[in-house]
Amino acid sequence: MTDQDQMAAAMATGAQAPEENSLQNSMDAIANSNEEMIPRAQVEELITLVKDVFGGHTASVNNNDLFAEIGELAKFINGAKKDLNTAKTGQIADQDIPDASNQLDAIVKMTEAATGKIMDECERMQSVQAMLRERLLSIEPPIDPDAMAGIDDSLNDMNTSITFVYEACNFQDVTGQRIQKVVKALTEIERQVLRMVVVFGLAQKEESLDEETKAELMEDVDLLNGPQLEGQGLDQDDIDDLLNTLL
Amino acid sequence: MAVDKNMRILVIDDFQTMRRIIINLLRQLGFANVTEADDGTTGWERLEADKIDLVISDWNMPQMTGLELLQKVRASEQYKTIPFIMVTAEGKRENVITAVQSGVNNYIVKPFNAATLKEKLVKVIGDF
Repeated sequence: MTDQDQMAAAMATGAQAPEENSLQNSMDAIANSNEEMIPRAQVEELITLVKDVFGGHTASVNNNDLFAEIGELAKFINGAKKDLNTAKTGQIADQDIPDASNQLDAIVKMTEAATGKIMDECERMQSVQAMLRERLLSIEPPIDPDAMAGIDDSLNDMNTSITFVYEACNFQDVTGQRIQKVVKALTEIERQVLRMVVVFGLAQKEESLDEETKAELMEDVDLLNGPQLEGQGLDQDDIDDLLNTLL
Repeated sequence: MAVDKNMRILVIDDFQTMRRIIINLLRQLGFANVTEADDGTTGWERLEADKIDLVISDWNMPQMTGLELLQKVRASEQYKTIPFIMVTAEGKRENVITAVQSGVNNYIVKPFNAATLKEKLVKVIGDF
């Protein structure tokens, strides 16, 4: 039986060689460490154990290269941990994103109200214009037909301008729909960030939460799926409760 | 055959602003006999309650979308021949194809102007 065959057989049966136990212990020690940086000695020990587990199959890999790679990995993980802390993920999911969504909703409502007002005035201008024409036509003695034709042209020009204003009001619908798309994207980001908070929170509170509570929390996060209808999914209070459980 | 400008037109859009724009532009074009609804479900109710000669509907709406309404209209014995114009912000090729396959008579992409609305109306109901 070759080395590879032995390793495959060991993996298939779940049996662990003594080297693998040592490697697992070393990895557990690093995972449970509260230190921001992993000491060089610990990384070197880890490399040696990895080499032992692979029975010298890594002999062709330069120790320094491997150390540099693992060092980079450690730096990356450390940086990601720091970013997570400084980014205040809970605040982003709980306050910042809902705030941004609310601001965008307010923009849609304000432009809708303003557009309504513009159209009210357009309608008023059209009725004034129609009334003006009637009054001009009812003047006695009648206005000279050529002069009336000129006035009519001007009134029609005015009507065309009002039509252009109506056309321009299209912007409200189009921008409204685009903003709704942005709100939808924000909600998706909120869901992802919240999911990340829950996953990290669960990892930290592994011992204090039972399986049922963990499953419920993950289900709650999955319910955060796009703009929800009233009475469905989680409301802000539910989200706050969820975050309070975890943070 | 001359177009009857007194034809009953049903305008469906969940945005009230958009309904007002379409209704006002129709009025500018001489069509003042207009009724409105805010989604496919209420649009269908208007169809059943009123004698509608032409439908101008948005695509994206809550409850029942414009496409679902179109499919329901085309599947019904009573309303299957009603001219149906879709108005939408979605200019995607596949959407247009789906709408055409579902039996739409014409398709207007927002934002649009009175000239475009007139051009599409002429194609659907004839010159006026």
